[in-house]
Amino acid sequence: MKTLLLRLEPVIWPLFGAGMMVAALAYPGWLLVVGLAEPLGVLSPAALSYERALGLAAHPIGRLVLLLVIALPLWGGAHHVRHVAIDFGGIARDAWFGSLCYAVALAGSVLAALAVVRL
Amino acid sequence: MSGRETKTFVVTRFDPDRDEAPRTERYEVPVRDDWKVLDALNYIKDEIDPTLSHRWSCRMAVCGSCGMQVNGEPKLTCKTALREYGSTVEVAPLANFPVVRDLVIEMEGFLDKLQAVRPWIIEAKDAARREGTHRQSPEELEAFKKFSMCINCMLCYAACPVVANEPDFLGPAAIALGHRYNQDSRDHGAGERNQVFRGEGGVFACSFANECTEVCPKHVDPGYAIQEAKLLNVIDWATSFVVPRGKAR
Amino acid sequence: MSARARIDSMRPKRPGSTRTAPPRMPDLYPTRGRYLPYIAFGSVGLLLMLVGFGILRSVWVLGEHDPAAWRAHLSAYRHPAYIVFHLFAMLAIGWFGLRFFRLFPKTQPPKIGPLRSPPEPVLLAGLRTAFVIATALVAAVLGGAIG
Repeated sequence: MKTLLLRLEPVIWPLFGAGMMVAALAYPGWLLVVGLAEPLGVLSPAALSYERALGLAAHPIGRLVLLLVIALPLWGGAHHVRHVAIDFGGIARDAWFGSLCYAVALAGSVLAALAVVRL
Repeated sequence: MSGRETKTFVVTRFDPDRDEAPRTERYEVPVRDDWKVLDALNYIKDEIDPTLSHRWSCRMAVCGSCGMQVNGEPKLTCKTALREYGSTVEVAPLANFPVVRDLVIEMEGFLDKLQAVRPWIIEAKDAARREGTHRQSPEELEAFKKFSMCINCMLCYAACPVVANEPDFLGPAAIALGHRYNQDSRDHGAGERNQVFRGEGGVFACSFANECTEVCPKHVDPGYAIQEAKLLNVIDWATSFVVPRGKAR
Repeated sequence: MSARARIDSMRPKRPGSTRTAPPRMPDLYPTRGRYLPYIAFGSVGLLLMLVGFGILRSVWVLGEHDPAAWRAHLSAYRHPAYIVFHLFAMLAIGWFGLRFFRLFPKTQPPKIGPLRSPPEPVLLAGLRTAFVIATALVAAVLGGAIG
């Protein structure tokens, strides 16, 4: 497991960097609208209506954007969680815990692909 | 002796023949306004307690011998002015290192890590025979000059959270040094070093706390060296599938 | 004196001739000085994963092709716990992003092959501008002002 993680690092690190960039650029806006403005009733009802939301999401560009916006930050987050665990004395369990973090990111990425296909 | 303030120094002591574990001793030292921490330690050894052991040499921040924790932060004691501190100053051996005695740490582990990155110009003689005298432009020198300024003081190792938690980690100075040679236009060993950098405790173990850069007294910026090394390593790894590997980079 | 570190930190390959005292952790680690923002930065990784899975759930619900389910999903976000979480996550990820931009220029070599990296202040200003534009764009599209 440890060797596998080492060999995958040159793939994981760029995914992690891209994930941080995507999260930094997209998440504050998403959280502002979907997480706050919408539930607080600030938006017009049409903004996130089912028809409009599906229309945006099901567009080919929408599908691609959503896939990247979900999947890449999962890798960024997983990598950070793994390293914070090491920072708190967790190197001995890194083989399984680190793998678990990336497995969750992988599962999320696969589900994201499924989610955008089925839109 | 008018005009001399007295500061209290709380110094870690450890004698492996007598002490179970490190302990602290307090010394009252009449300090001069322009003294560095090292001056106070030398005063303690000369005038108060000759059994105190500490490393020092040049007194001008080029030899890298006198690194210690001063009030919890890794510093070169020859360069750290006492007037920056209050009436009590704590001096302890560098964090993250085993302690040989008092303020002296075991540095062999550091030397092992330096050796692991093959810190010499690889194929220098063969290349010179093939290509003639090396010519290096000022721009080529700039690519690695900053990283060659390391004085091996180990403050970066004392500050690094990954060194604290991952014993195999090569560490900031070793990676900066390996990167220095990778970036040197005279060197042909980037392929070998990048294998080491991709191995156990290599560049990807770094979590970019950047404490190494913050504490470095010679502005080597090892944090930058490591991040550069990560990106260049990914490129090296990716191109290794496309470009056949001989001895070249 | 600070906490004990791993017993094998910086251990030499061949042991020395005398007994050594075990290494000590950096004194300010992990919650004081500059270490605190570093740990906080890494910890936001968990928020990234939570928000990522949250967006996944939204897209999944949308894919049910059931308008009632979508409305129910959105109205669930009116719960105060969600509001507080979203506000905290937005602020934390905003801070995370701005700190990331500050660190990002350090990851760029001055040259990759023939391509030069822009000077650090230019890169930083560019990233911050991109952040403002991207956030405004995402908010405008989702909020109904564009598209």
